Amino acid sequence: MEKIADYIEIADIIKEKGGDSFKLCYQCGKCDVVCPWNHFRQFSMRKLVREATFGMSEIEGEEIWRCTTCGKCSQVCPRDVKQVEAGIALRRIATDYGIYPASADPVRSIRSNLNGEGNPFTEERSKRANWAKDLSVNAFTEEMEILYYPGCYLSYDPRLKKVAAATAKILNQAGVNFGILGSKENCCGESIRKAGDENLFRQLAKENIKTFIDHGVKKILVSSPHCFHTFKNEYPEFLVNFEVIHIAQYLFELIQEGRLELTKEYRKKVTYHDPCYLGRHNNIYDEPRNVLKKIAALELTEMSESMEDSFCCGGGGGRIWMDTPKGERFSDLRVEQAMETGAEVLVTSCPYCIANFEDSMLSNKNSEAIEIKDITEIIQEVI
Amino acid sequence: MKKEDLGDVIVVGGGISGIQAALDLATTGYKVYLVDKAPTIGGKMAQLDKTFPTNDCSMCIESPKFIECDRHPNIEILTYTEVDSVEGEEGAFTVTLNKKPRYIIEDKCTGCTVCTEYCPVQIPDPFNQDISKSKSIHIYFSQAVPLVPYIDESCHFLKNEKCAICESVCKNDAIDLHQTAEKRVINVGAIVLAPGYEAFDPRLRGDYGYGTIANVVTSLDFERLLCATGPFEGEIRRPSDNNHPHKIAWIHCVGSRQHIPGGNSYCSSVCCTYIQKQVILAKDHDPDTQATIFHNDIRSYGKDFERFYERAENLSGVEFIRSYVTIGKENPETKNITIKYSTAENGVKEEEFDLVVLGIGLNSLAGGKHLAETFGIELDSHGFCKTNPVNPIETTRPGIFASGAFYAPMDIPESVVAASGASSLAGELLKSRRGNLSKERVYPEERDVSEEDAKIGVFACHCGANIGRVVDIPSLVDYSRTLNNVVHAEEGLFICSTDAAEKISNTIREKGLNRVVVAACTPRTHEPLFRDTLREGGINQYFFDMANIREHCSWVHSKQKEEATQKAKDIVRMSVARTTNLEPLQEFDLPVNKTGLVVGGGVAGMTSALSLANQGFEVHLLEKDTDLGGMALRIPTTLEGMDVQKYLHELIRKVYQHPLVLVSHDATISDVSGYVGNFITTVKSEGRIKKIKHGIAILATGADEYQPTEYLYGKNDQVITSVELGEQIAREEKRLTDSNTLVMIQCVGCRQEDRNYCSRVCCSHSVKNALKLKEINPKLDIYILFRDMRTYGFSEDYYREAADKDVKFIRYEPDDKPRVEVVTEGGKEMLRVDVLDPILGKRLAIDADLIALAAAVIPSAGSRDIARLFKVPMNPDGFFQEAHVKLRPVDFAADGVFFCGTAHYPKHITEVISQALGAAGRAVTILSQETVTASGSVCEVEENDCISCGACISVCDYGAIAFHDTPKGKKATVNSILCKGDGLCNAVCPTSAISLKHYTDEELFCQIDAAI
Repeated sequence: MEKIADYIEIADIIKEKGGDSFKLCYQCGKCDVVCPWNHFRQFSMRKLVREATFGMSEIEGEEIWRCTTCGKCSQVCPRDVKQVEAGIALRRIATDYGIYPASADPVRSIRSNLNGEGNPFTEERSKRANWAKDLSVNAFTEEMEILYYPGCYLSYDPRLKKVAAATAKILNQAGVNFGILGSKENCCGESIRKAGDENLFRQLAKENIKTFIDHGVKKILVSSPHCFHTFKNEYPEFLVNFEVIHIAQYLFELIQEGRLELTKEYRKKVTYHDPCYLGRHNNIYDEPRNVLKKIAALELTEMSESMEDSFCCGGGGGRIWMDTPKGERFSDLRVEQAMETGAEVLVTSCPYCIANFEDSMLSNKNSEAIEIKDITEIIQEVI
Repeated sequence: MKKEDLGDVIVVGGGISGIQAALDLATTGYKVYLVDKAPTIGGKMAQLDKTFPTNDCSMCIESPKFIECDRHPNIEILTYTEVDSVEGEEGAFTVTLNKKPRYIIEDKCTGCTVCTEYCPVQIPDPFNQDISKSKSIHIYFSQAVPLVPYIDESCHFLKNEKCAICESVCKNDAIDLHQTAEKRVINVGAIVLAPGYEAFDPRLRGDYGYGTIANVVTSLDFERLLCATGPFEGEIRRPSDNNHPHKIAWIHCVGSRQHIPGGNSYCSSVCCTYIQKQVILAKDHDPDTQATIFHNDIRSYGKDFERFYERAENLSGVEFIRSYVTIGKENPETKNITIKYSTAENGVKEEEFDLVVLGIGLNSLAGGKHLAETFGIELDSHGFCKTNPVNPIETTRPGIFASGAFYAPMDIPESVVAASGASSLAGELLKSRRGNLSKERVYPEERDVSEEDAKIGVFACHCGANIGRVVDIPSLVDYSRTLNNVVHAEEGLFICSTDAAEKISNTIREKGLNRVVVAACTPRTHEPLFRDTLREGGINQYFFDMANIREHCSWVHSKQKEEATQKAKDIVRMSVARTTNLEPLQEFDLPVNKTGLVVGGGVAGMTSALSLANQGFEVHLLEKDTDLGGMALRIPTTLEGMDVQKYLHELIRKVYQHPLVLVSHDATISDVSGYVGNFITTVKSEGRIKKIKHGIAILATGADEYQPTEYLYGKNDQVITSVELGEQIAREEKRLTDSNTLVMIQCVGCRQEDRNYCSRVCCSHSVKNALKLKEINPKLDIYILFRDMRTYGFSEDYYREAADKDVKFIRYEPDDKPRVEVVTEGGKEMLRVDVLDPILGKRLAIDADLIALAAAVIPSAGSRDIARLFKVPMNPDGFFQEAHVKLRPVDFAADGVFFCGTAHYPKHITEVISQALGAAGRAVTILSQETVTASGSVCEVEENDCISCGACISVCDYGAIAFHDTPKGKKATVNSILCKGDGLCNAVCPTSAISLKHYTDEELFCQIDAAI
């Protein structure tokens, strides 16, 4: 028997930390049935919500860290419980206490790296622009058309640097007058915020905002839907409003305006994976598809769970940094779904998704069956 | 203005609500235009298979009303017609109508459907939810009124002037492919809007794969699949392969109770129970059906719904699972569908089903905005008609009344009640012109057949496929022709349709029939219609007998077709034998005393009394207490924020000020005698005894709050009832503002074996109290312990608002009710509530300063006595029993006695007001008449055989028999007006001195002889 009175204090803290909307839940279970976790193991968002309502959450446990913030539940929640935003409240409390269960332990070092070098890796800030060497990419100046903000993964990760290069190549081909901030660029802070470190997010955001303002940035091009989401929907909390565009949208724009010409064929069957933060969180479904449809000979096929129903790669909500045991990796299932369509290429437009899918392919028994590509990597082959 | 364009009321919408409003108004003496944009009247009810909770055949109970409208001299039906504009004001509206071309000359069309046969264009049949095929030219459904086809836009000729086959095959030149829309301007004094609602369309968002996954259907699709007149003649077949599904899932709340774009935040009020109905019917069709129902609350808040729910739940292979769901996948080979659901015990499970039925909700009218502009009325935030908070039937424009689901999601009886209420309000407005335009029905003169031999006509009905699928009707007809005295026999698809009924009356005349047997359904719903048909044919209406070959044959022997056909022949042979001996009987007219009597001076009684008085009738209002007001005196506000006390005082003032309302306080009734039109009620009031003569009575004796014995109530003064809490909130009592924690416990004293019903109002009451408490003491922690939250309709919004204000809702199961005990902690005595939270899987202990019990609403102490005095029935729970749950929701079976308010069943104040107006509307259909007609089928005594034993007197429930003095001593005599013809006296009379006309020994013995 639990005495409700004993938990009221913690319930109030949860509310104060952003978990207020938990109270709206009428326990219908809809979140549980759409949650990707139910493909792998028992995990009940409904129970998590219920516990939080009464202040009975296990702050030290693994469960509060499972959510990948894919947004499937909040999209269909009949009571508008906002599971994603509210769920962060619990991680904020864990962060305040400095308690991390085994799976979330890497967050500790991520925090210190972000704090020191502005990226989640053990990489130096000074090397942030190294990807752009020999690619005729300039430093951003005020009169430029657009700031290209590649984000951490495209700046440092060997696989994703190829995406940054492809992007730069395309922009140059289209004659876009763009520049980068290089070492002055900080992590956008989206994922560390979802992992509960509000202070660090605020610090990163403020530094970025200062840099943007100092450099006269008006329009920002991003490669990651996570950067897109936070710049577009969260930075306005600091009363700034930069124009933000994701590369998938920008490609479509460039093509429509005739600045980018697709001259070659791409004779392959392709399936497109909607990243959660581009699709569900920001309602961008059509532009990447429209870009792919413009490519001659490309055959676009859809997975059974696509668009609003897209199945998460598992990398959101800070889980890109955490250890997910084999058998519980969403991306393993997603690449299987992609293969079921008969596609030769699984294309997407998010660095987390690519990182996870590449990882899954390494351990897949048909590791050659399907290629993982960013949408820019296909475009660069057809211009 | 031509005379035919001058009327009293226009009723817009010809569904069940509009039909009832039209009938009540027309009967009261107003000329009514009944307008529907569809090609027939009938509305959504016509599409339903059966109706809950009695599972009556929907069309069978509705279609007699179509014919009643059609035959009513004061109703003009205008179908395929829309309202273009409305000018003027209450009392004098000018309405411009637009009659769309149906390309048929209605007067010439006989409804023979040859045109449909020859039409080359197949289209999805809208009446069957597009599941089966129809033609461009077709009659909307077999019982349509008018029974005339229409041509829709798919017609080759209308599209590109190719094909006019229908024109050439029509023998009556009834087709006019060049017909154009017609304008018509009519003048009326009042408008009743009953345009209905829209079924939620899951195709728009692709909810649960509807529109893309073949075997996902809506509940309305399923109604058609169940129905004998449906796409598969009542066989449940699934779309992908036309196979019979064995495992079916129902999903609740599709489109309802959700804050998601494209959905409705409110609860649609009817789906829980219609799903249970569909489950029961699916099990009827195939007892091996596995049914799983996914829901998040079962809202069985209506009368007899709780038992209906239990009935469904207790069927084998039926499982109710508390979980909303998602579609897993469609199996590409079998086309079966998997559903994912989540339970607290087992987490997420995936299960495969053959068919998935979506419990779609009720949307506001699609063209509601346009309609509102046309009529100059306002809509509410949900797009439903905005009505007066204290009168749900009044729109924002005087003279325009709303009825049915146009103003809120509601089921059939509530739509019917609102219709009668709208009729009453229109009647108040137009009382000075009542009768000016009305016409009497004229029947042909009755033929004297006393010298004729019996010439019997037998009409055998297929009832769509209901009978015809089982009983070999052509063979039954052939057989009938061989029976003695039968001179004519024929079959029909629906004998009750307008054309078939007309054909019977023609045949009576042409073939000189003097007796008629209709072998079809039940006399309970259809006897009045066919008796009327005999009158139209010019013979005495008692020369009629119904052979029930549906309920007594095809429905119960559906698997034994040959034996069923044989039995049908037996039934018809018996009926013919009885009919041969039938005697003509005369009904007689009785004068009507134009005074009303209303028993009960609460909101219901006062509202009814005032409406009668406002229509010009004197009313006696009896109140057992010294003050008017009733239970409402203890209800400070409603959930929607209505100031009940202010409203009540205003109502009481109006009652006292009205010269035609005579109030008796402190009144008890000691005797009621008489009958419809002429009652005498003896009343003791404030020391005086008076005899009141009245023509009708409305019983509104209200309800009480159950005094709990549970949860320390009465032992600890910190445990109070919801009503007491409401009163204390209104007084802002210190104990409330000082408290930290309050627990409400729902379902105290009901939804259990001895009181097996839901008290309907308590969930909303508790939410209301919680919201009020949060206003006066925001820091108060409130916990509501419930079984199912039954905040139906728009109250669902307040349920969410309460959650938003931090009221915590904890579900409990009936086999593990919360426990309340007094504990002492830290020297302080407090109440501890212990309850299991099913999601947490933990027992919670809540230390409360106050506990409020949502105590059951129970019939008032005096109701039973009143029911006895007026000889009207009560249901097992002690609430008044209506004559018909769906279509006579405020009438008792006894003529001239009506009821309203919580004596019928617990309900909210606005529902009480609506029902009170409804009862007044029904009562006026009698008070407005000069005479009422009494049945000819009554008992009579052969005095010579009477031995004065008094057995008949003691068994008569109606007090219709009494002794009178004769030269040969006391003899029993029957008051024909009081006699209901139940025949109980016949059975107890030791000398067979008393007999029932129309059911004489001779008639019945002949029938029995024919059987053996």
